[in-house]
Amino acid sequence: MTELEKLFNRIVQRVNINLRELNFDVSPFAVELIPPDQLNKFYAFYGITPDHPLDLHFEHSALAGSYFLGKCRVRNSLLYKSDIRGDELKRKDQQRQFEKFTLTLTKDEIIDIEDSALVKTLVHNYSHDPETPEKFYIKDTLAMDYANIHGSPSDGSFLGPYATVDLTTMRDCVIGAYSYIQAGEISHLKVDPGTIWVNSPGNFNFFYKYPAELLEYYVSLSPDKVPWGILIDFIEERKMEFQRVFDFVNLQEIESIPKTASLDRYAVVLPNIKIADNVLVSQRAYIENSSLGKGANAQENCFIINSSLEGYNVTAHGAKLIEADLKLGVFVGFNSFLCGKKNSRLTVNEGCVVMPHTIIDIDEPLEIPADHLVWGLVRNKEELAKNSIALVKLNAIDTSFSQGRMHFEGKGAMFVKAFKDRIHHILDVNGAFFENGKNAGHAQKNQRLSLNTIQPFQFGANKGMYPNIRILP
Amino acid sequence: MKNYLVKDLMVPITEYATVSVGTTLLEAIRVLEQAQEAYTVSKYQHRAILVLDPAGQVVGKISQLRALKAIEGDHEFNDEIDEMRKFNFSEAYIAQLRDRFRSRKIIIEENTLRETAAKKVEEFMQAPTPGEYVSEDCSVDTAIHKLVAGTHLSLLVTRNKEIVGVLRISDVFAAVFHEMATLE
Repeated sequence: MTELEKLFNRIVQRVNINLRELNFDVSPFAVELIPPDQLNKFYAFYGITPDHPLDLHFEHSALAGSYFLGKCRVRNSLLYKSDIRGDELKRKDQQRQFEKFTLTLTKDEIIDIEDSALVKTLVHNYSHDPETPEKFYIKDTLAMDYANIHGSPSDGSFLGPYATVDLTTMRDCVIGAYSYIQAGEISHLKVDPGTIWVNSPGNFNFFYKYPAELLEYYVSLSPDKVPWGILIDFIEERKMEFQRVFDFVNLQEIESIPKTASLDRYAVVLPNIKIADNVLVSQRAYIENSSLGKGANAQENCFIINSSLEGYNVTAHGAKLIEADLKLGVFVGFNSFLCGKKNSRLTVNEGCVVMPHTIIDIDEPLEIPADHLVWGLVRNKEELAKNSIALVKLNAIDTSFSQGRMHFEGKGAMFVKAFKDRIHHILDVNGAFFENGKNAGHAQKNQRLSLNTIQPFQFGANKGMYPNIRILP
Repeated sequence: MKNYLVKDLMVPITEYATVSVGTTLLEAIRVLEQAQEAYTVSKYQHRAILVLDPAGQVVGKISQLRALKAIEGDHEFNDEIDEMRKFNFSEAYIAQLRDRFRSRKIIIEENTLRETAAKKVEEFMQAPTPGEYVSEDCSVDTAIHKLVAGTHLSLLVTRNKEIVGVLRISDVFAAVFHEMATLE
């Protein structure tokens, strides 16, 4: 048995031990998860920049095709084409307020990944767990394709494909495919596929669950098979374009990019594109025949095809826009799939909030009125009426309401405010409001980023593993 | 004052209404009616049916409430209600949701009644919980504690590991208040 196989078996065992109370066995899902022959084929890479402290520590791990930025330690883990972005980690001496406590950091925060397997997974933001302000840990965790671990320390958990856990500490949890969880803290929870849950205890609680038979068409998962469905096929069909950007050391620069905007070197850009000031296009984003207005962003694993974004748009990690026109300030949440067609375009008017993990898949033109919240599965006007609400109406909700498969309890105004504040915060940290040298964010800072690569063993018992390395400034 | 034991007040299982797994609700109710007609020891009627597995072991109980629940089809939306609870929705919201679900269904209607009559007992029976057993040699004091603590309408009476009878709340109630009346 190679070192890689031993490592993988050990990780699977550790995750299973943690999930035994939920009677969940990850082994069948793990079988096809990472093709061992691929792990020596891709280099890992990391960013160096004066804007973020650097401390990368890799020990007894495989890192194929993965990207690292900031402070990160990876031990006894297997990362495959994952992004570990430490550019929003907390810094030494920073103060954070949590309820009545003021926490002062005694050192820079670090992302600490141990005994885990992450496949095409994004790790970003910072630990929102007040018990571990200096460590964003991911331990005994298995995350499948296009999962997002966003500001969410994880211990003993499984994330299915396209699952997102956002600003939530999780212990011993199973998060089903295409589920989005933002709940502060969860433990010993088994979440069915396609569950969208946003809970702020005492303030609001939003819940929607996709009909299983309809979700299967978009994302499916079963033991002993790689995930499949339209969302997986969509990415597979564009895989070759990414191959090109990863194969070449030096790609020709695109000259039409404003100096205040950032187009990552590992993003795919196909003609014809227009990029305005303060735009951020992250690595593994895919932009084709589209325009991005001032302050718009396309985060990791986003696809924007034949679409226009008027400006100050957030296209969160993994969101996909096809044949869509987004007006000013539209927010599209994690892993959403907004799929218009050539003769049936989707228009999303100003100020709309498209909830994370929303699927809009239309065969007739569809227009979402301004300042609406949209969620769940929308394939026509009838479903839009069922799965949307005017923000002003939601603002007025004081106790509870339900609509279709959605349940809401709490204060609508607090829910709307939480989303609006967060959208503003995302735009701010991404540099959307940069003006006259002030309010610089990722779009501007990323321009001072250089990339280095590291290679795995190509032969012998350690084939596919990476040597132990410590990278310091 | 008489020191009652459980076996003094229990109904022997041979005189109780019992059906096998696989029996329909309608057949079970007919068995209950027959058992009620045959039982003349007490003025209190049997109000539940015990469900036995092929080996004759008690695997469930159907009370009148349980039978009505089967008609109402509560369990059809119980999964959704349980889910709401799992995801931190308040009891007030859940109660509201339950009312809404219930109001959608008409109970006294031919199709609903036919559908329910054909349901198998194992679909809606209540499996006995650990606190529902009492030994035949226990004092009635112990049985009262168990009835009150578990809010049970009856207890299964055991001899070693075998179930030999049912201790009904009505018989315990009658015995206790008979003793109380003698004090006057």
